[in-house]
Amino acid sequence: MAVFSEMNYTYARTEDCQEIFFRSNQACRADNYQEAIEGYNLLIASGCINGHIYYNLGNAYFREGRIGHAVLNYERARLLIPRDADLNFNLRYAKDRTQDAIPESGPFINNVLFWIDSFSAGELLWCFSVLNLLFWAVMLTRLFRRSEWSYYVFLILLVLWLAAGASFGFRWHQVENDKRAVIVQAEVDVLAGPDSRDTTLFKLHEGAVVHNERQENGWYLISLPDRKRGWIPAKAAEMVKI
Amino acid sequence: MLIPSRAWAKVSVQLNLDRNQAAVTDSIKLVISVSGTRSSDSVPVIKGADDFNVTSGGTSSRFEIINGKVNSGIEYTFFLHPRKEGSFRIGPAEVIIDGRTFRSNTGELTIHKARAGIARGNLFLTAAISSPEAYIEEQLIYTLRLHRRINVSNISLELPESNQFALKKLEGPQEYQTVIGDHTYQVLELRYALIPSREGEVEIQPSRMHMTAFESSRRSQMRSFFDDPFFSAGQPRTVASESFGLTVLALPETGRPPGFTGLVGDFEIDATLEPASINAGESATLTLRLAGQGNVNSIPDLRCPDLEYAKVYADQPVLKVETDEKGLKGLKTMKWALVGEKEGTFQVPSFSVSFFDPENSKYLTLNTSPLFLSILPGQKEQVLVSAAGAGDEGKEGQAKKEVKEIGRDILPVHTSMGVLKRADAYKAGQLFFISAVILPFLVYLAAFAGVRIKRNSQRSMASIRAKKSAGRFIREYRKKGSLPDELSSAIRNYLNDRLSLNLGSLTAEEAAGILRSNGVSNETSLRLCAVLKKIENAVYTGRGNDPCDTGEDIPSLIRQVEKEIR
Repeated sequence: MAVFSEMNYTYARTEDCQEIFFRSNQACRADNYQEAIEGYNLLIASGCINGHIYYNLGNAYFREGRIGHAVLNYERARLLIPRDADLNFNLRYAKDRTQDAIPESGPFINNVLFWIDSFSAGELLWCFSVLNLLFWAVMLTRLFRRSEWSYYVFLILLVLWLAAGASFGFRWHQVENDKRAVIVQAEVDVLAGPDSRDTTLFKLHEGAVVHNERQENGWYLISLPDRKRGWIPAKAAEMVKI
Repeated sequence: MLIPSRAWAKVSVQLNLDRNQAAVTDSIKLVISVSGTRSSDSVPVIKGADDFNVTSGGTSSRFEIINGKVNSGIEYTFFLHPRKEGSFRIGPAEVIIDGRTFRSNTGELTIHKARAGIARGNLFLTAAISSPEAYIEEQLIYTLRLHRRINVSNISLELPESNQFALKKLEGPQEYQTVIGDHTYQVLELRYALIPSREGEVEIQPSRMHMTAFESSRRSQMRSFFDDPFFSAGQPRTVASESFGLTVLALPETGRPPGFTGLVGDFEIDATLEPASINAGESATLTLRLAGQGNVNSIPDLRCPDLEYAKVYADQPVLKVETDEKGLKGLKTMKWALVGEKEGTFQVPSFSVSFFDPENSKYLTLNTSPLFLSILPGQKEQVLVSAAGAGDEGKEGQAKKEVKEIGRDILPVHTSMGVLKRADAYKAGQLFFISAVILPFLVYLAAFAGVRIKRNSQRSMASIRAKKSAGRFIREYRKKGSLPDELSSAIRNYLNDRLSLNLGSLTAEEAAGILRSNGVSNETSLRLCAVLKKIENAVYTGRGNDPCDTGEDIPSLIRQVEKEIR
């Protein structure tokens, strides 16, 4: 633990990142999870934003018995490496270990653009960038020479370009406006108002994923897919948004 | 580095001898490998080497990253020169790193008396066998040693061939130094397992080594730069070992156990049952391991008898053969799936195997310890077993059943350093991607604008030319007069400029038609047509350089055209 505290948290070179990553993994293998957690957190604080680091951090928290933080970091990892089989397995398993049965729900648009959950915003942007390049290249070609083939290529690219653009747009919107929060305390009372003297409406447990409607004076107004709503202290949950 | 390396260091020290048996005149190579660090406070101290002269063979350090795993270490090489015969325990080696002492393992080393060898020049080959007498299928060690005081290359070996024994190569070759007489020789040692297959007297023919030898032509004892093989011409040389006899004895008849399969050597047997308790319809795996040293290729495939309480499905036996200093050693693993049928606790039949121990000249029989299988009541549904050859009666197959989860856990952390390079592109390079999205559009926009500007420019140029065309014609007319050649060309240029045409020649009728189509009245068109006809006539009749009377005030006619044209 002391090892990490001596370090400069604001900047780390690639070699240092590799060193910290390697040693954190070693700590994880040696069942020294607290040290591993500090190492992975240091990497993230140093700007090394990476789905695999969030995944490993989730694993370390899971081994420490902190399911809430494990789910939180798995969810963060999913924003970056959504198709990783290990991650999806572990997230499913970690959620199985939580106490609250909360049905998962997503926006309607996810059903229409059913593929966007399988891609990170970065991947969709890559895809859109390539199609964008091709699309404008064909447009440029047609500016100087119009031919039949270029017209059909233009039509196909137009459809793909629109789909990729829409996918990236929605994904970007989801990531940038991610209102999901994960309960990180063992048990939290959900109150009728942002005051500890208010009536307890229901209880939530570590690892539950909730929707944070708004924040007010250190309190979150959260809601569940079954329309239950209430207030919890902000420290009881952490936002998934990176 | 942000982290002090010692906080994480896992230092280990390993001592390795290149062989465990040597003659008193030999040198033995000893390597001390220190992993987990790249420096030590001092050179290693080797315990138990008091009866040896120890010389250093150098130090090397290494640092490598393989699959994201960082390995570093130092290797200290020493040569041990024995001072006397006997058995010695070499080590542990002690290394001090950051003030802390680390100890290695130890190694056993037996030093024999000097081999009774007679030096036969600069280059000779010797052969030795571990025993002059052996039983059939007993494993002996056949050792070839090439002694040399000169450089050689391109060595090839010709081993003795016979249907009375088989040779199998063991680990190696090894290289070391030895002293014979007054000379130090470099020795190349090759070891083979020799397994006799027939009883009687066996003559082991010489082995032969063919090579290119580089003998120095200089008489000087000093080794010169030109003694290097690069500068000296090699000569083909063949050296042969001595032949010798081997007495192969038949395995004794007395005490031979029933079911003896010809296994000779030293073996052990072990059986496990996993799990020991199952529900009816489920399967347990019975694993039998038969391992040892000797003629391992003759380890028999044991059969599990049919059981009343369980169906038996055999797996394919797996034989793993390795070599070490003592010869061939092997492990045969046999597995059976036992699918429980009856409830209760049953003893699994024990397995036995007999072998001949040549060291003690007697037969031994090994038995597995008793194992018990508990079969609990289970679901009565039939277990479907599909195995290769299951349909053939009398053949055993491999049991297959639905995979059941018996434990749950998360999958391990990702350790590849490559993942660090795959930081999410969306976060990592927004500027690049924004450029990739916007730049193509900007390029297109610029090209589009360029094309538009070009077109507009062409149009405006034509318009300017058109507006000025009448004035230009009149100026030219006044300057050059009414010569038909000049006039024809001037009227054509006027029409081209005025109507943005690009006509090389123009007939009178064509000109009239063009004017009409551009809004000029029929009368004016016909007037110009008549003028053009007169000019054409003058040109075609050879009066092109004489002034022509067209009967029209041509500048007025052009002005009229200008008024009417759209």
